[in-house]
Amino acid sequence: MANYQKLSINQLSFTYQHDRVPVLNDLTVSVPLDHIIGIIGNHHAGKTTLCRVLAGIVPHIIAGNLVGSCQLGDQSPVQDWPAYNQQTGFVLQDPHSQLSGLADTVADEIAFDLLNHGVEETAIQQRVAAVAAQLQLTAQLQQSPDSLSGGQLQRLAIATAIVTRPTVLILDDPTSEMDPQGRSDFFNWLKTVTHTTIVIVSNEIDELCEIADELWVLEKGHLVSHGTPLQVMNHLSPKWQVATPTIYQLASLMNWPLATKPTLFPVNFNQLRRCVNVNHSN
Amino acid sequence: MSTIQISNLHYQYPTSDFQLAIDQLSIADSLVAIVGQNGAGKSTLFKLLTGLVQPQKGAVKINQRNLATLTPEERLRTIGIVFQDPSSQLFNPTVEKEVAWSLSQLESDAELVQATVKKALASVGLTKLKDQNPFDLSLPEKKLLTIATVLAINPQIYLFDEPMMSLDWPSQRLVTDLMQYLAQTGHQVIAITHDMDWAAATFSKMVALAAGNVVFEGTPTNFFSCPEPVKKAGLLPPRIMTIAQEVFNDHHVYLTPQDYAEKYPAHQ
Ligand SMILES: Nc1ncnc2c1ncn2[C@@H]1O[C@H](COP(=O)(O)OP(=O)(O)OP(=O)(O)O)[C@@H](O)[C@H]1O
Ligand SMILES: [Mg+2]
Repeated sequence: MANYQKLSINQLSFTYQHDRVPVLNDLTVSVPLDHIIGIIGNHHAGKTTLCRVLAGIVPHIIAGNLVGSCQLGDQSPVQDWPAYNQQTGFVLQDPHSQLSGLADTVADEIAFDLLNHGVEETAIQQRVAAVAAQLQLTAQLQQSPDSLSGGQLQRLAIATAIVTRPTVLILDDPTSEMDPQGRSDFFNWLKTVTHTTIVIVSNEIDELCEIADELWVLEKGHLVSHGTPLQVMNHLSPKWQVATPTIYQLASLMNWPLATKPTLFPVNFNQLRRCVNVNHSN
Repeated sequence: MSTIQISNLHYQYPTSDFQLAIDQLSIADSLVAIVGQNGAGKSTLFKLLTGLVQPQKGAVKINQRNLATLTPEERLRTIGIVFQDPSSQLFNPTVEKEVAWSLSQLESDAELVQATVKKALASVGLTKLKDQNPFDLSLPEKKLLTIATVLAINPQIYLFDEPMMSLDWPSQRLVTDLMQYLAQTGHQVIAITHDMDWAAATFSKMVALAAGNVVFEGTPTNFFSCPEPVKKAGLLPPRIMTIAQEVFNDHHVYLTPQDYAEKYPAHQ
């Protein structure tokens, strides 16, 4: 039975063609649609592959053996591609590999998918201008995509993914080359996006703990933990070797647990403020 | 220890309005972080420091010698670069050959090359991938591979363009340890980064660029104690400072959570 209000993954395994060892191993998890899901884990955990499955790239563009199911609302990236693909925005881990290679200017690159979606010319121009302003690319609109700095290129990759206003946004380490202010602006913007299921892989654990409804921890292809950032960060196994947010580090050093749950340390600003008000109001 | 001396350096790309202009900058510390917004000119500065592009005006001197007068071989031994985009640096059919390639320009002893390559791959944890095609590696693995290619040559000066980019936590610690080891063994390590927490915890000197100009040089403590250049460079302080400011209205400089915990009794 499909659950129309959820992103649900059921006994999902995947092995790339020509490989013997599965990269994803029997994942089962589900969350409501329109949530923000942060995926963390180390190299070879399977984060990028999971993004590719959620985007339908695996198995449609990159071949392999996929077992189990993956369903977002009433659609499956496996069965309902390319209809599903039309509503999905994807930012690849390496922004250099994301360019169409067909556009002479940054403006044309951003407009590319809008043309494919049949958006009309004046609307295209408005949307390109708006998204360029949001990502601070206005000054580069007439520049060639090949002549951008690394961070500008990553901003362009994000712009092309969000300009079509997708209902599913899959982001594989989207801010790795962005400056601190740009990164902070981008995460703040993600928090304001509505009616969109956002899956984001990132090493920015501080930002993830601010915005994610749910964190998934992958280790060697297995989903080893999932839940709220508070729960996940407070129950990490040292074996997974994942980083904790600065607020959690500070609270553990200072021994400032949550007032309501004294066995847990805060992981974001709201939680820290609440526990500090209690601990400090003397 | 090396000294890099930049005077009156001007550079402009043929196809954009961006201009890099640095009047005077001398870099003599062993661990230097270059910071600044996207498009500030950080990678362009690295291209000038390695002679990949020629300045329209001014010069770069390394240990009193003009960079333009070094032979290609001298240049390789003096200064090595890990590019921001690792793919632009890779072209050999296997990981092992990739690491051996530049080194074999300098060293004809095949056995020595092989031993050095082995060591370089081991120190970034890529030994198991030595027979793979570099283009089949993930982005973080490519980044580690480009680090290994420079380690094999072991130049006096290491330039790392965003070394932490997309690395997981264990690899970040590995690369940080490696950089500290290089600095302790007489090399100069200069890294471009957007990670202010890492910059504050790891480097003894910071240079901030904004719109092609140097707007600050000094220690992390000095940099983060003056909000003006931090803002001018479009940057943010380390997270621990933002936490102290926003939650406790405390405007002292803190470089790490440990630093905060140590100063806490005195600041109450
Ligand atoms: N090959 C090129 N041709 C034309 N303009 C370029 C070229 N490379 C870079 N630029 C422009 O020069 C400016 C500085 O680029 P640079 O790559 O040095 O920035 P950066 O500080 O390294 O940024 P980032 O943090 O995004 O990597 C940017 O505005 C960029 O668009
Ligand atoms: Mg750069």
